[in-house]
Amino acid sequence: METKIPFLEVSDAIVMSGAETLYWCMQCGLCSGSCPWRLVPGEASEQFNIRLVQRMGQLGLEGFESENCLFACTTCRTCVDRCPRGVDIIGNVRGMRSMLAEVGTIPGSLKPIVGSLHSQGNPWSGTPEKRTEWTEGLNIPIFSPDTEYFLFVCCTSCYDIRSRKIAKSVAKALESAGVSFGIIGNEESCCGESIRKVGDEALFQKLAESNINLYNGKGVKKIIVTSPHCLYSFKNEYPELGGNWEVYHYTEILADALKAGKISPVGDSVGPVALHDPCYLGRHNDIYDQPRQIIESLPGAELKELSRNRKNSLCCGGGGGRVWMETKAGERFAELRISEALDAGAATLVTACPYCITMLEDSCNVMGKSGELKVMDLSELLVEKL
Amino acid sequence: MDQNIGVYLCSGCGIGDAIDIEALPAVGEELGVSRIVSHDCFCGPEGAKIIKDDLASGDVNCVVLGACSGRVKSEVFDFDLMNTIVERVNLREHVVWCQPAGNEDTQAMAEDYLRMGIIRVQKSTLPTPYLEALDKTILVVGGGVAGMQAALDAALAGYSVKLVEKETELGGHMLKWFKNTPTIPPYHDIENINLSSTVDEIKNHQNIELFTGAEIEKIGGAPGMFDVTLQNGAGAFKVGSIVLAAGWKPYDATKLGSLGFGQFPDVVTNVQIEEMAKSGSLACPSDGSAPSVVAFIQCAGSRDQDHLPYCSAVCCRVSLKQAMYFKEQNEETKVIIFYKDMRTPEQSEEFYKQVQKSGVIFVKTDTSKISITEGSEHKLAIEAMDELLGEPIQMEVDMAVLATGMQPAVIDNPILNLEYRQGPALPELKYGFPDSHFVCFPYETRRTGIYTAGCVRQPMTAGRATNDGTGAALKAIQCVELSSQGKAVHPRAGDMSYPELFIQRCTQCKRCTEECPFGMYNEDIKGTPLPHPTRCRRCAICMGSCPERIISFNNYSVDMIGSMIKSVSVPDEYEEKPRIIGMICENDAFPAVDMVGLNKMQYPPWVRFIPLRCLGSINLVWIADALSKGIDGIVLFGCKFGDDYQCHFIQGSELADTRMSKIKETLDRLVLESDRIRLEQISIDDYYRIPQILEEFTARLEELGPNPYKGF
Repeated sequence: METKIPFLEVSDAIVMSGAETLYWCMQCGLCSGSCPWRLVPGEASEQFNIRLVQRMGQLGLEGFESENCLFACTTCRTCVDRCPRGVDIIGNVRGMRSMLAEVGTIPGSLKPIVGSLHSQGNPWSGTPEKRTEWTEGLNIPIFSPDTEYFLFVCCTSCYDIRSRKIAKSVAKALESAGVSFGIIGNEESCCGESIRKVGDEALFQKLAESNINLYNGKGVKKIIVTSPHCLYSFKNEYPELGGNWEVYHYTEILADALKAGKISPVGDSVGPVALHDPCYLGRHNDIYDQPRQIIESLPGAELKELSRNRKNSLCCGGGGGRVWMETKAGERFAELRISEALDAGAATLVTACPYCITMLEDSCNVMGKSGELKVMDLSELLVEKL
Repeated sequence: MDQNIGVYLCSGCGIGDAIDIEALPAVGEELGVSRIVSHDCFCGPEGAKIIKDDLASGDVNCVVLGACSGRVKSEVFDFDLMNTIVERVNLREHVVWCQPAGNEDTQAMAEDYLRMGIIRVQKSTLPTPYLEALDKTILVVGGGVAGMQAALDAALAGYSVKLVEKETELGGHMLKWFKNTPTIPPYHDIENINLSSTVDEIKNHQNIELFTGAEIEKIGGAPGMFDVTLQNGAGAFKVGSIVLAAGWKPYDATKLGSLGFGQFPDVVTNVQIEEMAKSGSLACPSDGSAPSVVAFIQCAGSRDQDHLPYCSAVCCRVSLKQAMYFKEQNEETKVIIFYKDMRTPEQSEEFYKQVQKSGVIFVKTDTSKISITEGSEHKLAIEAMDELLGEPIQMEVDMAVLATGMQPAVIDNPILNLEYRQGPALPELKYGFPDSHFVCFPYETRRTGIYTAGCVRQPMTAGRATNDGTGAALKAIQCVELSSQGKAVHPRAGDMSYPELFIQRCTQCKRCTEECPFGMYNEDIKGTPLPHPTRCRRCAICMGSCPERIISFNNYSVDMIGSMIKSVSVPDEYEEKPRIIGMICENDAFPAVDMVGLNKMQYPPWVRFIPLRCLGSINLVWIADALSKGIDGIVLFGCKFGDDYQCHFIQGSELADTRMSKIKETLDRLVLESDRIRLEQISIDDYYRIPQILEEFTARLEELGPNPYKGF
C-alpha cells in the first residue's frame, strides 16, 4: 500500500471554497450508510463513499475526482439531516467540487452544460428567444409592476418538450385560481442552483447577479417557481447576494387557493395516486403537506404513501448536476421509486419537480411499466380536473 | 440477661392461608417459649402494639417474628437493639411465596425456620459494644484538588482535620497546569484555573492543621485510634479515619522509546506541554522555535499490554485542551491528533466538537504502531495507518506530544506506611490501584477507616476528583462516628458485635491473621492474633477460618449455626423426603432468594436456608454437623469471585470455595459423595437461576440416594 502524504494546504483551500464544516466530521459514517447509492449496484455505488470523500478532503488527498465518486452526490440531503455532528455535507461536496471546477477538472458530460449556461443563460443550449415557446397557444401575462407574482419557469420546463407541459399546467392552474402572475419572457437566466452544486461558483455568481438585477429592475416582490431547485436557490442563496423576495413553490400557492375555495377540482376519479417527495421540496425546503393537500382535493383520490416518504423520501437521482450525467439502467434510484409506487398500489405517480419528472418517467419507460404507472407532475394532474 | 422470648406469628400476606399457624406454637413450646402470639398483621398499628407492649412490660426481651423477610418493614420493626435480641423468621418470601399452600412439606419448612430462628436467639447475647475508639480527627493525605476538597468538607462539617502534603505548596498537579478543560456550559472553552480561593480557605480554616513538605513515617492503630507519625519529627498525632488522596504520577515516558521519546528532543509528553504552556511559550525544545505543525499521540503507553493495559480516562480531553493551547498561541498552527478512540464522556463531547471546528485534524490509528523518524522539511516524520482512509499516511511535524496515562501514586510507595501485619500498603486489585468495589463502594479500601479519593483510586478529571474528595470525606466522617459508638461501618453498618477470641486455645496457626481481607489482626511476637475491633467489618471470615473454633461474636458463632443446623427435622430414609441445608450469603444470595419468593417461583420443599454474614464465614464443622445429622445435601450460595468479584468482603466467597475443595477430599475419604456439597456464585440478579439449581441438585441427590448417616 502506498503511503499517502496529506497536503493540509489543499484542505485549507477546500475549506475556503465552501467546505466550512469539513473538519466537523468525526468520520462516523452515518452519511455513507444513509446514502441512496447504497441501494443500487454499480460503479458509483462502489466508488462513492461520502465519508471517505470527506476524509480525503480533510487530509488534502487526491483520488475522489471522478464522475462516479465526488460527482455522484445528488445533494439529496438525507445524510445532512442525519449527521450527528451537524456537518453541512453538501457544502463540503460543493467546496471540493469547486476546487476542481476552478482548475477545469469537472466531468466531461458537464462541460457543454457549463458552456450553454455561459453563452445562453440556460443549461439546455436553447436560445433566449425560445424560452417562451411553451406559452404558445396560451395567453400568459407578462410581469408588470401591477402583477403580484413573477412566475419563474425552470429552464428545464422552458426548453424540454416534455417538461413544457409542466409550465403550461402550472400557468393554467394559477390562472384558474385567479392568481395575479406574469412571466418576464426571454431575459431570465437559470437560477444556477445545480451548477453551484456542481462547483462552478463563478458561473453561479454570474447567473445570480443577472437575475437579481433583472428582477429588481422589474420591481419583483413575490415569485412563484415551478421547480423546487429554483425555490431553494432564490430562497436560500440569493438573499445574501441582494435578491430579497417572497418565494413560493407553486404547490404552496395552489394549496392555499384550494383552501380558500378559489379552485375546486371536479371530474372522473383519479384513483390511487402516489407522491414522490422531491428532495428539494421536502428535505431542502420542508414542504410536505401542500402536495398532499392538493392530491386529496382531487376527485376520487386515494393517496398511496410510498414506503420512503417525507423526510425519508428517496432521491430521483437528478440533483447535484446528476440530471446532466448518465446513470446506467439498473443503477438508478428512480427505478426503485417506480417499484415502490407499484408496490404501493398506485396507478399514478405524481411529483412536483421537473428533474424528478425526467428521471422517474425515463425509468418507468425503461422498466416497461408505463402501461401500469403514469408519471405526472402534480400540476398536470390538477389541471385535468379544473 | 435472662432471655424471655416472645414468638409472634403473622398470618397476613397469605401466610395464614398457606400454612397452619395454629400448629406452629408447638415448635416454640418444645424449645421452652411460653409467650407465643399470632395476629393477621403485625406491621399494622394493632399488631405492632402487641410486641411493643410486651417489650415495655418487660415480659419479653427477645423477639422472634415469623412474618416477612427481615429486609422489609424495618421502619415498623425498629427495636432497641441494645436491649432486645431480634430475629426475623422469613415465613413469607422463603416459605409461603415459593411453596404450595396447605402442603405438609410447606408446613415442615415453616416449622424448621421457626425452630432455627428461636435457636438463633437462644444462642445470642446482648451486644457489649467496643467503646474505646473515640478520636474523630480526620487525616487527609495529599493536598491536590481531591485532598483539599476532602479536608475542607470535613472541616466545614465540624471535624478537626490534619492535612499532609509532601510538596511545599497545596494544589497538586493542577498547580503546574496552564488551563483546565471546560467545566461550565456550553462546555466549549478551556478555562483558567483558580486554586487560590480553596487554598486560602484551607489555610484560614480553624479546623484544619496543615503540614506541607511532610510525609507519613508510619501509621499504627485502628479506626478511631490511629497513631500517625510524620517523617523527620514533623509531628505525631491521633486520628479517627484517613482519606488518602495522594493522586497520580504520569507513566514513565522513557519507556516509550518506540515513539521517539528520548531520541528526538521535540517528542515531549502532555505533562511537559502543561509546564511549557504555563511558562508562556510552546516551543520546540530542540531550537526554541514555535512549531507550525504539532502532532498528539494518544494512548502513548496506554491500553497497551506492554505498558498500561487500561485507559486513563482523561488523556483525550487533555490533548483536546492542549491542541487549543497551540491554536490560541497561533491560529495557523496545524494540529493533528493521532488516536485509537476519542473518549469524551459527559459534556466533553461538546468540547470535542468545538476543537474539531477549530480545524484540528484527527487520525484514527493504532497509535502503538506509529513510527516517528527524522523528517526533512519539518523535524519529525510520523507514519501511521489511517484507519478511516484505509491507507498509511505520512506527515511531517515540528513537535510530537505523547499523551501518557496515569498511575496511582501508591504504585511504588505505600505512602501511608501502615503498621499492619499484612503490610504497609493498601492491598491492590489491578494495575497498582487500591482494591475497592469501584462500582458499588468506590471509596472503600481493604483497610477499614481508610478511604481513597481522586486519581489514586482511579484515573479521573480534576472535577471528578474534587467530587471524590467530598465523597471520601463523608465516608471518613461515617467511620469516626460509628467507631466511636462501637458500631461497624459498611457493609454491616451499625453492627455492635465484634470477634471475641478464646485466646488460651489459640494455636497461632495464623489463618485468621492471613485470611482477614481487612487486616484486622496484627500479631504478637509468637504469632498470637491481636485483634483491632474497629478495623473489623464483622464478616466473620476469621470465624470460618479458625480450626480451633475460638472466634465468636455475641450474635454469630460456630455453635449458633451448628445448633440451627442440628435443629432441622430430618425424616427417615424411608419417607423419601431429603433435606438440604442452604448456607447463603446475606448480602446477595439472601435477597436473591427473597426475589424468588417475590416472583412466586417454586423450588423443592427440602431446602432450609441459613443466611451467613459472608460465605467466607463458613466453618467446616457445620458441614460435618449437617452430614452427621443425616442432611442429604448442602448448597452454598456465595458472591461472584475473581477479578470482578462481587463479595462485600472482597474474598469471602473465594475463600469458601477453597475450603470446600479441601472438604471434598475429606468426604471422598469418608466414602461420602462430594457431590453432596455444591457451591454456586449468585449475584442478586441471578435469582431466576435458583429454582433450577435446586431442582438439579435435588435430582442429583436422588441419584446418590439418602445420606447413609441418616438416623445415626
